[in-house]
Amino acid sequence: MRRFARLAAGVAALSMIGAGAAHAQSAPAAGWGRIEASFGGMWLGNQPLGRADANETTPTGGALKIFTSSSELARAAGVEGRIAVRVLGTLEAEVQGSYAVPQLKVALSSDSEAAPNVTAIEKVQQFTFGGGAVWYLPTRALGTRLVPFVTGGLGQLRQMHQDRVLLETGRYFQVGGGVKGFLVSRSQGFINGLGVRLDVQALVRRDGVAFDDRGHASPSVGASAFVRF
Amino acid sequence: MRRTVVAALVVLLVAGQPQPALAYLKFGVTIGGNQVTLKWAQAPVRYSVSTQSAPQVSVADFQDAVARAFNTWQSVPSATVTYQFAGLTSALPGRDDGLSVLGFQSRPDLDRVLAATSFLIDRTTGALVESDIFFNTAFDWSVSPAGTATRFDLESIALHEIGHLSGLGHSALGETELRDGGRRVLAAEAVMFPIAFASGSIAGRTLKADDIAGITDLYPEADSTRTSGSISGRVTKDNQPVFGAHIVAFSVARGTSVGTFSLGAQGQFSVAALQPGVYILRTEPLDDADLDSFFDNTRTVDLDFRVAFADRVVVVPRGGDSGEIAVKVVRK
Repeated sequence: MRRFARLAAGVAALSMIGAGAAHAQSAPAAGWGRIEASFGGMWLGNQPLGRADANETTPTGGALKIFTSSSELARAAGVEGRIAVRVLGTLEAEVQGSYAVPQLKVALSSDSEAAPNVTAIEKVQQFTFGGGAVWYLPTRALGTRLVPFVTGGLGQLRQMHQDRVLLETGRYFQVGGGVKGFLVSRSQGFINGLGVRLDVQALVRRDGVAFDDRGHASPSVGASAFVRF
Repeated sequence: MRRTVVAALVVLLVAGQPQPALAYLKFGVTIGGNQVTLKWAQAPVRYSVSTQSAPQVSVADFQDAVARAFNTWQSVPSATVTYQFAGLTSALPGRDDGLSVLGFQSRPDLDRVLAATSFLIDRTTGALVESDIFFNTAFDWSVSPAGTATRFDLESIALHEIGHLSGLGHSALGETELRDGGRRVLAAEAVMFPIAFASGSIAGRTLKADDIAGITDLYPEADSTRTSGSISGRVTKDNQPVFGAHIVAFSVARGTSVGTFSLGAQGQFSVAALQPGVYILRTEPLDDADLDSFFDNTRTVDLDFRVAFADRVVVVPRGGDSGEIAVKVVRK
């Protein structure tokens, strides 16, 4: 109950802050302005990369396991930015980019000669560049200050190994949704809106530092500030 | 031309003198105080086949089996080495006659040697002049496509010996157990492992990543130096260099292993001709084969340390080196 009360109060405060700047004319569902720029932080969940055994060949052509490796691209925080252009009343096209430095972790275990278990680690600089679409849901259940949306995108993945000795390339796909909270929304002036954007997405990365050519999914959460022109 | 014959008893015994350089285990000779890698200066390498046959193996069968083995080596796309059949000869392997001859010989005195490779070297340049391989008829041989339970597979053993003929030393990528006063191979991940699979096995007909890296390192295709890379580093124990440690680079993406040894005075090692990507380093004492299968001077080989993984991921760049990787091991 207490948690619900606190959330409700927060939304109300957000609405009151924006209320003073609101234009008398009723705003479109997605707010005023045609171009939006946003920048903020994100959190990437871990990306499992699978297991691989180090084997040797037996005289019959079978496999003798020497040790096992289990790899992941660990969870990491990063930054992201977007520039969006409204192409329809409730649809925006956007270009997006992000940067994060996750750790590539390879856990080594089950050694046939009892080597101690070790997790080998390196830092990976990850860049993404791509495009996507944002569709504002036609609902007014949250009022005109909170606008839910669904989004999807795809683009290029660049992952640079530690010491910058090798650049790996790949692709990413993402789909998810979120909500934009307008602190300012007005139809006139250079700036037509200010607010906060929250994203929750499923991110699928393919190739790059991954050890196979399959897609590997992980969750992604973002929070950014936006400005509308 | 001064020539020196270097005899290398292979498969079950020693294979000559490794080059104590920072590289894949290769044969080497000292020319004018400098270590020179033993390799063929000209291509193709011409070989002759002896007209001596063995029980259940005709000369034609023998010729076909060794031709398949030569073809396996020269089919490595990243290496340039090629071979050419020069004809049948009545000459025997091991003669200083300028011909590289492969053939059967009866050597019951060498009761643990399936086959052996010997070299004739130009001592002014270090170039290989001749290399002969004999297959011991004290053992039973098979050229059957599926192998024969009680006989050793000629193609598999020829593949190993031709690796030596080309200049490769032994690999330590294998596991053995002591049995009946000898070693039995449990598994191996290199044709160049010094101990053969048991009779009946044909698993040794296929080159592994370790063999391919070795032959590529010796005879690199022009593009391979730009498309492949290397790992280098040092192995130390109590801040002292470790000589003779076996370092294995495991490619997580490919599931393949390539090995080398710490042969430098400061415990340095280098693994060359690796595909770019992420590797795990595992360091172990050289305890799965007799030390003299690898080194002439076995007294300096350090076996008193525990198997260990490097605690960092190692990345091999295209056309470059990983940068020095420090591997620290601890006493048993």
